[in-house]
Amino acid sequence: MKNLSTVKLVEHPAKTLDAGTHKLATYCYQCVAGPDLLTVKVNDQGVATEVEPNFAAEPVHPGGGKVCVKAYGLVQKLYNPNRVRAPMKRTNPKKGRDQDPGFVPISWDEALDTVAKKLLEVRAKGLLDESGYPKVATSFGGGGTPQSYMGSFPAFLSAWGPMDMGFGSGQGVKCYHSEHLYGEFWHRGFTVSADTPHCNYNISCGANIEASGGVAGVWRHANARERGIKRVQVEPHLSVTGACSAEWVPIKPKTDPAFLFALIHVMLHEHARERLDVDFLKHHTSSPYLVGPNGFYLRDRETRKPLVWDAKNEKAVPFDTAGINPALEGSYDAEAIEIGPDAQTLGEGDLVGEPAFGRLVAHMRAYSPEWASGICDVKAETMRRIANEYLDAAQVGATVEVNGRRLRYRPVAVTLGKTVTNGWGGYESCWARTVLAALVGALETVGGTLGTTVRLNRPLNERHKSVRKGPDGFMAYPLNPTDKEHWSAQPNIRNAYRSMVPLAGDGPWSQALGPTHFSWMFLDQTPKGLPRVTLPEVWFLYRTNPAISFWDTDGITDKMARFPFVVAFAYTRDETNHFADILLPDAVDLESLQLIRIGGSKFIEQFWEHEGFALRQPVVAPAVNARDFTDIATELAARTGLLEKYNAAINKGVVGVALKGEADGGQWDFSLDTTLVHSRETIWDAVCRAASAELTGGQETHGLDWWKEHGLRTRPFPRVDWYLQPTLEEMGLRFELPYQERLYRVGQELGKRLHEHDMNWWDTQLAEYQTLPAWKDFPKLWEEEVGRMGGRAEDYPFWLLTSRSMQYAWGGNVGMQMIKEVANNIAGHQGVILNARAAEDRGIAEGDMVEIATPKANVRAKAVLRQGIRPDTLLLLGQFSHWATPYAKEFGMPSMNSLVPMSLPLTDATGSGADLVRVSLRKVG
Amino acid sequence: MTRWAMVADLRRCVGCQTCTAACKHTNATPPEVQWRRVLDMEVGEYPEVQRVFVPVGCMHCADPPCMHVCPSTATKQRADGIVTIDYDLCIGCAYCAVACPYQARYKTDAPSFAYGEGPIQSEAARFDDGRIGVATKCTFCSDRVDAGLEQGLTPGIDPQATPACVNSCIAKALHFGDAEDPASNVSQLLAENQFFRMHEELGTDPGFYYLWDKKAEGAA
Repeated sequence: MKNLSTVKLVEHPAKTLDAGTHKLATYCYQCVAGPDLLTVKVNDQGVATEVEPNFAAEPVHPGGGKVCVKAYGLVQKLYNPNRVRAPMKRTNPKKGRDQDPGFVPISWDEALDTVAKKLLEVRAKGLLDESGYPKVATSFGGGGTPQSYMGSFPAFLSAWGPMDMGFGSGQGVKCYHSEHLYGEFWHRGFTVSADTPHCNYNISCGANIEASGGVAGVWRHANARERGIKRVQVEPHLSVTGACSAEWVPIKPKTDPAFLFALIHVMLHEHARERLDVDFLKHHTSSPYLVGPNGFYLRDRETRKPLVWDAKNEKAVPFDTAGINPALEGSYDAEAIEIGPDAQTLGEGDLVGEPAFGRLVAHMRAYSPEWASGICDVKAETMRRIANEYLDAAQVGATVEVNGRRLRYRPVAVTLGKTVTNGWGGYESCWARTVLAALVGALETVGGTLGTTVRLNRPLNERHKSVRKGPDGFMAYPLNPTDKEHWSAQPNIRNAYRSMVPLAGDGPWSQALGPTHFSWMFLDQTPKGLPRVTLPEVWFLYRTNPAISFWDTDGITDKMARFPFVVAFAYTRDETNHFADILLPDAVDLESLQLIRIGGSKFIEQFWEHEGFALRQPVVAPAVNARDFTDIATELAARTGLLEKYNAAINKGVVGVALKGEADGGQWDFSLDTTLVHSRETIWDAVCRAASAELTGGQETHGLDWWKEHGLRTRPFPRVDWYLQPTLEEMGLRFELPYQERLYRVGQELGKRLHEHDMNWWDTQLAEYQTLPAWKDFPKLWEEEVGRMGGRAEDYPFWLLTSRSMQYAWGGNVGMQMIKEVANNIAGHQGVILNARAAEDRGIAEGDMVEIATPKANVRAKAVLRQGIRPDTLLLLGQFSHWATPYAKEFGMPSMNSLVPMSLPLTDATGSGADLVRVSLRKVG
Repeated sequence: MTRWAMVADLRRCVGCQTCTAACKHTNATPPEVQWRRVLDMEVGEYPEVQRVFVPVGCMHCADPPCMHVCPSTATKQRADGIVTIDYDLCIGCAYCAVACPYQARYKTDAPSFAYGEGPIQSEAARFDDGRIGVATKCTFCSDRVDAGLEQGLTPGIDPQATPACVNSCIAKALHFGDAEDPASNVSQLLAENQFFRMHEELGTDPGFYYLWDKKAEGAA
């Protein structure tokens, strides 16, 4: 809690309108780059008509208080005639894509009773099945956005007990997976951003920030462009972001690590050391730690602390010895011990060690721009120039004062896109990006590369508080144990993240950050060593449509048809709830009530200079027989005998704010009586009061009515908290870069555990645990997959990629006519983008129907000829191919998702795959 | 005198179509009628290619071809430069749509709605039969401008007096103001930046300016 005497609270009064109409403040959190704060105009007949920015939010919002295009779809969303208009039950027991579910309307009472009865049956026989997996599973949509809409449902989940939240619907193959895991490990960067307001040079490898960064991202980057930032966009097709960049480098897909390695090579081998931030490397990274002959740190024999070579006194000393001048390069003798996996002593006595930085220099020697040029299809001189520009722009040595603290000023950043950070090559890319920042001291400081949120460490809403002292002078990290005593041989859920992916941790988000396709892929063929993967007895779905959004969508659709009891919170019919047994229409955005945290530092570009809360409130009565999610959750809790636990979870803060608290001398307690059924108004009134109290140290206790009138309430968030460097320095901690001794050890131990259990099918993935990552022929992995699918690589010469559509990404808004209409103004929303010359060579003209195929599947699309794409690349924007969703099923737009094979060989060590595939192309009409 | 003008900063526009959507909300235009929209254009050939997003709509020309061809005098020009259409006078001949070099005019011959034949509630609440069979186009949100001026507000500065597309722009690429007032926001932008107007060679004297770079130091 901040010192309130210095905090100026900001109130945001609602504007009043002419008689007869009124505006209500609310928020849109349809995508992870939200929330956007808006007002909705409602006419004298109680009809919502217009969305506008909440102009009162302009002083505190990092995007000028503006509202993304997706929010303008909310009015149509409300009145869409295709909504599920009442609870429904399935009458056709046969499930399949070709089966009409025969949904018929039922009462809410019947719907909730049916679900509760099923849950009570499950509960009576035990929460886990014969494999030890939870019998109840849930799948929620993109990036945690459902939590901003599901009211108090998290309290029901908490009250229930074990649930399997690891059935993927996009995670791993449609997210920034390596960035999430490694980013959080290295710098509490579950999501990573340039410090855009201060950055002058941004190398963006496929980061489509103009489409995925939301209002704050667009606003800030536009400001940055006007003040002269140079953004170099490195990607196979000229995205929206590429269009707004100073330079486009059309790189060959999946070769980004080679490009980034070449930049590191130039900095290490073509410039004087003084060009780097030597002080930062010596004192704030693992660079000086001595590495022994077996690749592990040399340690002090007594304290087990890693040793560095003190050049001042010419002796090896523990890394945290005061007043030393640690060497970065050379070879040194030291009295030491080298400890390997499972605490095994690999050497002891007089050992030879090299600083980790020296190892890095040697490791990167071969990765010259000339070497990378042949891999990336980018000229060596281009890479060399970019490296030099980056180094020049870094301004090593400069400092700037922020909130009274003097910090490094390093206005350079490298940002990475989705397909760069997931699947094979993701680790190498993320490592190279973070090392590029560390070499010039630009990691977690002004102008540089920032982590903006944590999800695997706790607390989730405050990344600085998640920094704790760990081993060897680094931050602690909740790695899943790999030692013999504690390694989890019995997975707690089907995707086995705790057993297979140490970096996923074991917090509330970890289930969704494991290999979420395992839950699907292993249903019929569970590999050796894992308990047989089973169908969940009950599957809850909300704001997710894995039958469209995951990989191998045809394959998982067939599997869904076997799920025995599916409960879908449903807006319209769709391709996944086609297999549901019960449809529950929840009140949508403009009909429902919830308070969420805003500001501080959150996903992507959502780092603000304010923090607080915003209310989503019903602006009109439900347009159909829908119920607020909170009321549904309360009913389910009551009908399953979980009411007391449910209310207790709300009191504890599971829905976002603890109802009892104290800070700055103030105390408050708005706890609910746990024995009663509370209305949504009662629940959110208590939450509102607790939020007001939390913001003001108990001085204010505004209830729901106040929040409905004002919409939001904030207080300043110090800009210095955007940066982690000061916190690490205060705690005497170092960034764990560039050398990855801990991960190497973890990988070795994991390998031993798996082999002890006769599990050899993860050996390829184990190779990813390296101290310093090496280039591998990543593109070849996808060419080899063609062979596994029964084809010849040369017959599938194109890369098929996807790219975010700002109008649709994360929005669940594919059924909105207006969104479709405006999105069509952007190329690629009505067909497959291909290079005009490549098309001409194949006799393909604009608008021709083409077939895109793998050896196993094919789709058809209209040809959209563009210049801004490599000749060997095709692009299918967004994720379409709907066959059940009303309105969207008429689009005639395919998706790459049905072509991307779900494949263990294409799964990396973090459990993710990349969303690209090799395909053929031919004209069919 | 006042001449209301729009300025689009091409360095800032990302083609998000938020302005397109905001315009549709504010002006309740039917499907596929976009008084404001953003073009997605390419210039050059691979790999030397640039992609640019260009907001377009009625340019509120000082010498509007649409007005000259209008046989019913429905299209007029206000003293502040805003080109208007009087739906009561318009006979729907569409000469203006043909004459407009900016493809800014629309004519809807029958009611059309987002989801089939009937309107959804928000459409029904705002349906205007007077717009059927006549030419329509961007009004520079003249109702907001006029109402704002009556309240002593400054169009382009105060949101209540400013066109919806400008209010909504998430890149701050769109600006609105009085081009005749040297102290206005748009005059300042035009003084500080290099700009062009679309099809200026046609002599239409458009009231829509495109910024593309800062002026060189010392340039007039």
